[in-house]
Amino acid sequence: MVPIEYYLLLSAAVFCIGLFGILTRKNALLFLMSVELLLNAAAVNFVAFSRFHGNLTGQTFTLFVLALAAAEVAIGIGIVLVLYRNFADVDVTRATTMRW
Amino acid sequence: MAALPFELTPVIAALPFVSFLIALLVGAFAPRVLPKGGAIPGILATAGSLALSVWAFVAVHNDPDGVYHEYITWVAGYGDATLDLHFGVLVDPLSAMMLVIVSLVALLVHVFSLGYMNDEGETGLPRYYAGLGLFTASMLAFVFADNLLMAFMFFELVGLCSWLLIGFWFREEGPPSAAKKAFLVTRFGDYFFLVGVVGVLATFGTSMFVGSESLQSFPAIAEQVLAGEAGAEVTTYLGFDPQTWFAILGLLILGGVIGKSAQFPLHTWLPDAMEGPTPVSALIHAATMVAAGVYLVARIYGFYALLPQVMALIAFVGGFTALFAATMGVVKKEIKQVLAYSTISQYGYMMLGLGAGGYVAATFHLMTHAFFKALLFLGAGSVIIAMHHNENMWDMGGLKEKMPVTYYAFLSGSLALAGIVPFSGFWSKDEVLYEALIHGLGNPLLLGAYAMGLLAVFFTGFYTFRMVALTFHGDARSDTAEDPHGVRWNVKAPLAVLGVLAAVAGLVNMVPVQKLLGVEGIDFLHQWLDAGPEALSAHHYGDLIPYSSGVIGSEATTVLLGAGLSLALALAGAGLAWRLYAVPDPDEHTDKLGGVKTVLFNNYYQDEYQVWLAQGVTLPLARVADKFDQGVIDGVVDGVSSVSLFGGSRLKRIQTGVVSNYAFLLTTGLVVLLVAFGLMGGWF
Repeated sequence: MVPIEYYLLLSAAVFCIGLFGILTRKNALLFLMSVELLLNAAAVNFVAFSRFHGNLTGQTFTLFVLALAAAEVAIGIGIVLVLYRNFADVDVTRATTMRW
Repeated sequence: MAALPFELTPVIAALPFVSFLIALLVGAFAPRVLPKGGAIPGILATAGSLALSVWAFVAVHNDPDGVYHEYITWVAGYGDATLDLHFGVLVDPLSAMMLVIVSLVALLVHVFSLGYMNDEGETGLPRYYAGLGLFTASMLAFVFADNLLMAFMFFELVGLCSWLLIGFWFREEGPPSAAKKAFLVTRFGDYFFLVGVVGVLATFGTSMFVGSESLQSFPAIAEQVLAGEAGAEVTTYLGFDPQTWFAILGLLILGGVIGKSAQFPLHTWLPDAMEGPTPVSALIHAATMVAAGVYLVARIYGFYALLPQVMALIAFVGGFTALFAATMGVVKKEIKQVLAYSTISQYGYMMLGLGAGGYVAATFHLMTHAFFKALLFLGAGSVIIAMHHNENMWDMGGLKEKMPVTYYAFLSGSLALAGIVPFSGFWSKDEVLYEALIHGLGNPLLLGAYAMGLLAVFFTGFYTFRMVALTFHGDARSDTAEDPHGVRWNVKAPLAVLGVLAAVAGLVNMVPVQKLLGVEGIDFLHQWLDAGPEALSAHHYGDLIPYSSGVIGSEATTVLLGAGLSLALALAGAGLAWRLYAVPDPDEHTDKLGGVKTVLFNNYYQDEYQVWLAQGVTLPLARVADKFDQGVIDGVVDGVSSVSLFGGSRLKRIQTGVVSNYAFLLTTGLVVLLVAFGLMGGWF
């Protein structure tokens, strides 16, 4: 059996990659992908701890996370489409008309 | 107990109030319906008040207790430390008498106004009669008020009405300014009064004038405390002992009295108030506004009688004002100005009487003065109608033959004012001076006040007969005086009524005759004011006053000496005026006065120094206060707001609109939070 630390390291690595993507990318689609990575890092944690404790609650949560991620992508894609229509681009740094 | 007229007492004040409402509302929405611009409702209302007042007067006479006192609590105290505020009705001999006087004068003034305002084609009559109605109502309510706070409220209403009526011709330049002056100067005194009212409530826990089963009156409490009776407790403030503290309260209330009753140094509003319509002047001077101050002192005389220093001060201010105002009346050119200064002077006599321990004497003078001063003002009003609203006496002359009713009525009032026997003013003024004399023999301050009062008698005689001679005698000095405007019954009838009263009202209290001839029982006013509840009776006040009385030789000699001296001075003054001015073509003669003339014409520069006080002292002070307010107080407030405005304008720049920045801030925030928790939680 794989020790839990490996899962946690994997999860942390995926989370950091996702965070890095959010902080550095300008493309809205990459943003969406990075958010998916964050969610999945959390999901891995859930599954790992679920197995570690022999308790199915964490895995159930993972199902919810997947459903949530699907919904989020649907809305995210919608936002990206509107962004493209308004700014003819998917660069998030250009859509700054709502600032002070 | 005859309950009916007493229970109707509030109606006495309510009737004129209804006439005020009618004049105001009907006058505003349907002026065509309003008979005579509101005069008829006003006359009916004041006639009703007079009838009810007379009924109450008779009922007080027949009542075994001689008093009616009923009150409602409109603010009830909470818990043990109760301080209740009341509205109440107090009908005792003093207030019953005053109710009759006020409603009678108000009725006559309403009738006279028909001639002075309606027949002269004035506009804005509903406003005028509304003012008169409210004025009468508030004075009547003030008269039967049973506690100091209620009295204060109606005292203020009286001041408001005087402002409304003095400024009746508000489109001209003078009246609004005079109205403002009257309001502000009397308000200045009323500030002290208000503080006094609060002080009395805080000290005694009640401001009742008369005690009842559940509640003692504040003069009674003060009396018990000063007598050191057990169980009598008051709260004094600022570390004063009760005697001093009561004196301070008495002086504070006196501030309102000095303002309203136009005593030195707050008398300056009264001559200017002549800008108002003449019937209003009659009402203000005889029965309402100015009388309110003196009446207040008489009302709480049981309190003042406990305070020797305050009493002496009242007497001295009164005596000084009597003389001071009389000298200014000597040089005036306008008939109403002479009367204005005579009013100040006569109220000075009343204050002298009250301060000298002559409660009955002062009340007596208040009564006779109400009749003869109302008469003189209405007479002057009649003359002013005849002269087409020219008030300068130097344009008159020779009106005697042309308006005999006015002349004889005016003469009756003048004889009363000058204090010539047997007209009413002689009896009352003589009694005031007599009281000042017998009590002053052991008190130099009081004796000084008496001397000034006595000297003022000469000037009173002089200015009164100067006025009569210039107005009615000699040759006509202008075209209008040659052919004066006629006056109708509505002017003559009030004059006739008051003319008779001014002549005979003194007969109700012929104390000198009683003392000289030994005829008992003709001092009706003494008996009248001696009846009623013990604590409000004249003999109780007589026990309280802080003076010993002395006589010169015997009592009869003192009476004779006092009366003879004042009569001789009055006759001398009148005779001198007659000699100088009752000639076909009189001169002004004022040049003989030299430098004094300028001082007198300028009213002793009273207005000047008060204006200087306002502009030279108060205004800079106010400027400094304003600077402090604008700079320091507002500065702090503005500083706080500008700091947050500036901070906000800088801080809003983090809202860049770039999603990456927000994400960065979120992450940084989370990391900082984690590190902070870690440091505090000891993870590292």
